[in-house]
Amino acid sequence: MDAASPAPTSTGFYEWNPEEDDVLICRAVREETHDVKSFIFAPRSQRRFAFTPGQFLTFEFEIEGEAIHRCYTISSAPSRPDTVSITVKRVPGGPVSNWLHDHFRPGQMLKAAGPMGDFSWTHHPSRTGKYLLISGGSGITPMMSMTRTAYDLAEIRDTIFLHAARSPDDIVFDDEIAVMSRRNRSIRAAHIVEGDSPLQAWPGFRGRISRAAIEAVAPDFREREIFVCGPSPFMAAVRAILKEAGFDMSRHHEESFNFEELAPQEQAAVEEAAAALESEVRSWKIEFAKTKRVVECPETMTILEAARRAGMRLPSSCSKGMCGTCKSKKVSGTVEMHHQGGIRQREVDAGMMLICCSKPRSDVVVER
Amino acid sequence: MLDRTDTSLTSLLRRRRPGYSLEAPFYTSPEIFAADMDAIFERHWLFVAVEPDVPEPGDVMTVDIGRNAVLIVRDDDMQVRAFHNVCRHRGARLVHEEKGTVGNLVCRYHTWTYNLEGSLIHAEHMGEGFDASCHGLKPVHIRSLEGLIFICLADEPPADFDEMAAVMGPYIAPHNIKNAKIAHQHDLIEPGNWKLTMENNRECYHCGANHPELTVPLFAYGFGFAPEDLDETERAQAERYGCLVTDSHDDWERAGIPSRMREHLDDMVTGYRTERLPLDGEGESHTMDTKAACRIPLGAFPSAKMGGLHFWTQPNSWHHFMGDHAVTFSAIPLDAERTLVRTTWLVHKDAVEGVDYDLQNLIDVWMTTNVQDSELVGFCQDGARTAGYEPGPYSPYTEMLVDKFCNWYVQRMRARFDPAPVAAVAA
Repeated sequence: MDAASPAPTSTGFYEWNPEEDDVLICRAVREETHDVKSFIFAPRSQRRFAFTPGQFLTFEFEIEGEAIHRCYTISSAPSRPDTVSITVKRVPGGPVSNWLHDHFRPGQMLKAAGPMGDFSWTHHPSRTGKYLLISGGSGITPMMSMTRTAYDLAEIRDTIFLHAARSPDDIVFDDEIAVMSRRNRSIRAAHIVEGDSPLQAWPGFRGRISRAAIEAVAPDFREREIFVCGPSPFMAAVRAILKEAGFDMSRHHEESFNFEELAPQEQAAVEEAAAALESEVRSWKIEFAKTKRVVECPETMTILEAARRAGMRLPSSCSKGMCGTCKSKKVSGTVEMHHQGGIRQREVDAGMMLICCSKPRSDVVVER
Repeated sequence: MLDRTDTSLTSLLRRRRPGYSLEAPFYTSPEIFAADMDAIFERHWLFVAVEPDVPEPGDVMTVDIGRNAVLIVRDDDMQVRAFHNVCRHRGARLVHEEKGTVGNLVCRYHTWTYNLEGSLIHAEHMGEGFDASCHGLKPVHIRSLEGLIFICLADEPPADFDEMAAVMGPYIAPHNIKNAKIAHQHDLIEPGNWKLTMENNRECYHCGANHPELTVPLFAYGFGFAPEDLDETERAQAERYGCLVTDSHDDWERAGIPSRMREHLDDMVTGYRTERLPLDGEGESHTMDTKAACRIPLGAFPSAKMGGLHFWTQPNSWHHFMGDHAVTFSAIPLDAERTLVRTTWLVHKDAVEGVDYDLQNLIDVWMTTNVQDSELVGFCQDGARTAGYEPGPYSPYTEMLVDKFCNWYVQRMRARFDPAPVAAVAA
């Protein structure tokens, strides 16, 4: 796992530290196509994300009381570090994608670990400086992250962006890709679709991914570092085409978004991350009864700290459990408290706690 | 204005007539009151509390002695400590409640935080060069005599406390005060100078006429009498009482319960007196029926009839320890003409009110007696203000202890304010 340490960046912000900032808050949900949405996340405190384009995050979803872990490639670019986004296509019967589409709203939180993975031109630079990004369906997300980064940084990086979709309506980020390629001529984009859509007759390439399509879009594909992401049959087809064309497969990189198809090393990393999320990073609701505020508090964070991050100002002084200034009545819930003499067992027995040194072990209601 | 170094106070002290009450200014003058606070209350061991006032770690209580504010707290090692109740930052009072429970001692003003050992452990915004170790709470000397808490505000407290404690420890220990709980505590402000409160306590001359409740358990002649005044019946009673005292002392001491009189009321800086006296009637307790008020005894006694162990200390306390409960009294001067008397009733900590004791029955005798005494003290205070007052003679049979209180007081005042050598007063 590529854990960034929380060192100040040149902007004065702190870098995102997945060890500490493992709860992300949803800032916005964007409709990309009829069945694709992007979910934009921010850390809860003022920190900036650091990752390489193409990497993925492991999320924990609590759906109907069950913790489900899924990996999603970051679709946003690290050059816009205040948020990260994932782009999710609705999958018929898919528990997570449907839940995200139907129930997940701005303001809600998710636990996340990462970033992970080395599916990135940062890790596999091209000797010739030329790249071919081939994506199918929602395999477009790592390609978008890389292309957006190159665009933001005004890199002259010879990039051919080849995307295969079912119909013109299914091309995610169509407009944005067009804008990027128009304004940075080193980015050239081409799409191949299987058929027209009801409102749009497709003038470009048709059919499935093929050697002809690749050769037509990138006649010099043999000189390029090739990155492929999409459904498994799609990636298998590309692999076969390239092999048959005598491509040097050491310059071929692919990324699956099926856990089973990840490299064993990545599988281990994801499993570790998922375990870490599950065992260490539960988050609880802290309700402040008098002020009627509710904040989320990861169980690794003190209630006072979570309240502060949510903008509340509560009486406190030492923050170490010594002075007792933050002593509060616990109406309900369980906390783990490590004080330094600021409270007596009798007071604890009477339902008091020091919120500066109490971490939630359940949802908690505080009389404040 | 009476200058303390002027001859006025010293001459009043020097011309005090032994065997007579003090001249009026001792009871009425604010200047002499200030001198009393300086010479007596800032320099001697004062009885202010019992350990059951602060039974558990973090329990804290406050006591104000004249200009001084003191807090008494029990730390996590069960040790009782006393500090000036003043923040080392800008002097704010630290603990405001008479009694409470704290984690650490925190000044509400700027949250300077002290642990129960008095060390400053948290002070925000004081900068790099700030040395917290120089700003701990100022300690006040404190001693627990078998659960009775004495404090001394002097830098160097009287050393003879240990001598007194060595004698008194075995007397008080069987009553197990450390393992008691406070059943009731009552503060009464008597309308008189603290010395009148003490003088009233040091005799029972007034008991027969004024304390019908107290004289139910206490023998009328327990504190002396003039033999020539007694008729035949009274003489017989007095003789029987004399024999009862002797026999009881023999019985109790044989059972390992120290009982015989020890008296150093005016020949020690830390003056005291003790004696275990038999009680009338059933002989068990200071109650209206003279039976134990509490079913659970305070200690492991050979019998319920343990009489009453009396313990007097100079300048400000008296105590009665019985087999079933104990009553302590602490007198704290408020000003020249008002005195706080705090009475504390203690029973075994396992005793349950309404089950093992009836509170009203427990406190009845002394609640009633205190109010009677307060009124009597007020009479004397009123008199001391009049032109008609002049010191009167103490009874040589029943007011010897009053005289000894005044001897002690004059002696201690002269030690402080009179440059001339003070003649030792015979015991």
